[in-house]
Amino acid sequence: MPLNWWTRQRHYFLYMLREFTALPMALWLIWLLYEISGLRSGAHGYTPPRSGLFVAFSVVVLLFSLYHSYTFLKLAGVIMRIKVLDRQIPSRVIVFTMFGAWAVASAVIAFVLIWFAR
Amino acid sequence: MDFESYDVLVVGGGLAGIRAAIAAVEANPNVRVGMVSKVYPMRSHTVSAEGGAAAALGPGDSFETHAFDTIKGSDYLADQDVVEAFVREAPVEIIQMEHWGCPWSRNPDGTIAVRPFGGMSTWRTCFAADKTGFHMLHAVFQTSLKYPQIIRHDEAFVTKLLIEDSRCVGVVALDIKTGRFDAITAKSVILATGGVGRVYAFTTNGNICTGDGMALAYRAGAGLKDMEMVQFHPTGLPFTGILITEAVRGEGGYLLNKDGERFLKRYVPNKMELGPRDIISRAMVTEFEEGRGFEGPHGKYMHLDVRHLGEKVIDRKLPFMRELGREYVGIDIVKEPIPVRPVQHYEMGGVDANISGETEILGLYAAGECANVGLNGGNRLGSNSLPECLVFGAAAGRAAAHYAATAKPATANPVDAMLWDEARRVESDYLEKKGGNERIGPIREEMQHEMDAGAGVFRNKEGLSRLARNLGGLRERFEKVKVDDTSRTFNTEIIAALELDFMLEVASVIVFSGLAREESRGAHARRDFPERDDEHFLKHTVAYHTNTLAPRLEYRDVHITEYQPQARSY
Amino acid sequence: MADKTITVRAARFDPEHDKEPRLQSYEVPFYDESMVVLDALNHIKNHIDGSLSYRWSCRMGICGSCGMMVNGTPKLTCNAFLRDYWPRPVVVQPLNNFPLIRDLVIDMDDFMHKLKSIKPWIIRKQELPLGAGEHRQTNEQIDDFRQFSECINCMLCYAACPIYGLNEEFLGPAATALARRYNLDSRDEGLKDRLPVVAEAEGIWECSFVGECSVVCPKGVDPAKAIQQTKLDTTMRFVLPYGNRE
Repeated sequence: MPLNWWTRQRHYFLYMLREFTALPMALWLIWLLYEISGLRSGAHGYTPPRSGLFVAFSVVVLLFSLYHSYTFLKLAGVIMRIKVLDRQIPSRVIVFTMFGAWAVASAVIAFVLIWFAR
Repeated sequence: MDFESYDVLVVGGGLAGIRAAIAAVEANPNVRVGMVSKVYPMRSHTVSAEGGAAAALGPGDSFETHAFDTIKGSDYLADQDVVEAFVREAPVEIIQMEHWGCPWSRNPDGTIAVRPFGGMSTWRTCFAADKTGFHMLHAVFQTSLKYPQIIRHDEAFVTKLLIEDSRCVGVVALDIKTGRFDAITAKSVILATGGVGRVYAFTTNGNICTGDGMALAYRAGAGLKDMEMVQFHPTGLPFTGILITEAVRGEGGYLLNKDGERFLKRYVPNKMELGPRDIISRAMVTEFEEGRGFEGPHGKYMHLDVRHLGEKVIDRKLPFMRELGREYVGIDIVKEPIPVRPVQHYEMGGVDANISGETEILGLYAAGECANVGLNGGNRLGSNSLPECLVFGAAAGRAAAHYAATAKPATANPVDAMLWDEARRVESDYLEKKGGNERIGPIREEMQHEMDAGAGVFRNKEGLSRLARNLGGLRERFEKVKVDDTSRTFNTEIIAALELDFMLEVASVIVFSGLAREESRGAHARRDFPERDDEHFLKHTVAYHTNTLAPRLEYRDVHITEYQPQARSY
Repeated sequence: MADKTITVRAARFDPEHDKEPRLQSYEVPFYDESMVVLDALNHIKNHIDGSLSYRWSCRMGICGSCGMMVNGTPKLTCNAFLRDYWPRPVVVQPLNNFPLIRDLVIDMDDFMHKLKSIKPWIIRKQELPLGAGEHRQTNEQIDDFRQFSECINCMLCYAACPIYGLNEEFLGPAATALARRYNLDSRDEGLKDRLPVVAEAEGIWECSFVGECSVVCPKGVDPAKAIQQTKLDTTMRFVLPYGNRE
């Protein structure tokens, strides 16, 4: 196969994008771990960079992580086979529930973070 | 040139062929079975069968009614002892298919469900939604993979049967991928090559249904029986000829003429849409002639209406029909009626074989559509052909394995010579031919249109005679055929030439057998002889190869056990 | 309308003469809206150039013979309508990712071996005798595997799969879907016999879920789903204490 095979088809491109999103996300998370490790020397050890470039990078990574989560949850809906009373639950219901659970979990975490940060 | 040798060699990889191969192995596990097919087995035309497979399974059914329905449906041309054996064996084979994984549609209690079908007096047609043939073929093919004794030669085209001392000892096959000729010898050979629908232009049959086995056996000296009996299915899609299954009517669909009238009340008042195929096809053509058909760009047609069944039933039982309507006609059959007209579907005739599949040539067996074991007579009932492939495929497989256990192997020397001669013949006729200016495509198209016009639903002497002359003309043109393709690698044009050669042969047998049968029986409806004539024609036509286009015809009595011929009305 | 034509550019390759496949253009009459790409190929073969080689049979989307690349997408040519391409030319090429035999004909022996390797037949510890009748199975139980039993082996999914293109050892979409078809069948007890082939590295784990196999499948089999479901199932068998159930 030619090296540029993934540029010829929209689906192939989106697939490569999805797989690629993992890389910046990993970098961002490694950095986060490093920052957190700074907390060992007390609250002053936590010094997140405030440059515009880094904020932009974080926004991009946020978008990537949202896209990655979206593809993952959609897939989960397709592959999970859950039966209730001998009836297969339609994948649409599963996907909907997944996204619902995602939204609720995000809201709870946001609430906790904001509550304790007051 | 290679030299493979088997105990049993099956030619054809459809339902009958694979069933025969498995039966041979199960009858004797030491048997080596070869299977040669011009396509990968899952491409075989069994795959297009839709409606179902009949068997008297349920408590409300009996062997006697299935037998009587079949015999009456055949217009009393079926051999009754064969029918009686068939109906007893069919349920066993349906269960066997179930054990091999066929996803039969089920009753709520988990038993195999049945549906009504044309010409059957009770519900006895087992089905796997509306892709019955597809599921049966894939189930039996995939099951065959577990038998190491079965060795396949996929995409190899048999050009000739090897006959030694009037016994069949194998075949000459052209390996399509490499262009190499092989002699494949065997102690017994089973032909299961399917039908010959491609001699017609408007047919449900796939491109591969070219009557190869019929022509091979005929040229080797075996008889072709009742070839004039060609079935026209009432409901094909105009233009493409794609089959709309009889199960559509089984599930309650209506056939309507352009006045919105269920016109079958004038022809089969007691059965209506569930009448036998020959009568319904004639009814449709009669309505067309009397001006009550719809006019379309591809000729006249009727409406097949399932709207009243509702989306749920259609999606559960006829999903493939909805798919075909959507893709090939651009209609949703839930909301619109389906345009249909009669289309060539099945050849009742075939290689003359007995109840065990034995032909007149020692060591040569035949099963499935390419054979005529005497089951279908003048008109096959819908859903009898899939179980026929199973029952008589298995019978031929067992008989061939049994015969092979004691038969002597073929001797190498004459086989070598025969292989050489056959390879030279094909090469000089096609690959290395000098001159010639005729193309295969136009000759084939002309033959197909001639057959549609002269040997269709209704026939007469004038049309059949003209057809016979024209086939002679086409044969002369075929002698001057020139192929563009001289490659050895996957030369599909050589295959097309060999197939056309076979089709011209079988078409002429259909026509001459039809000319000689001066009566109307089953699917053979003569305008000039509209009545059935039991006194002269309660007989099988058996055609033998001669040096001319016209075969030598013999007649053989029909086996009658307890069902005396009566008037056939529904 | 009567003399409307469409340009068909068909791939030609004869290993006896050519080093590389090339495209050859043909003008084909386009006289009916329901004409498909296969009809155009047949016109070429019957009336223009008899040497064009391709496979076909049922021309109703069930035998699986006539899969080719049509304008770069794997399609059944009996089900690819000229009206969707006209007035632009339609380019017909052999399926991607397979060894080429001739013109539009690919070598699919590899799939035939893979199909056999997943043991696509009902496996039981104890065979039910024929006299005992059928296994009881409800339509709902059939629904569990129905989708995966609709595979016609047309090879479009393999042509669409970049993983198969990069590594031909990959078991691939259709074979995995068929393995799952049998594993989900209530009559079957062969899961453990199939696991060694399906669950190894070149089996399901090679798949990184491009998902294109399911997009091109003409029969709605959704092999990508079969593969991901199998991944989940095998993982659960590994992780859960009761996961090794049959």
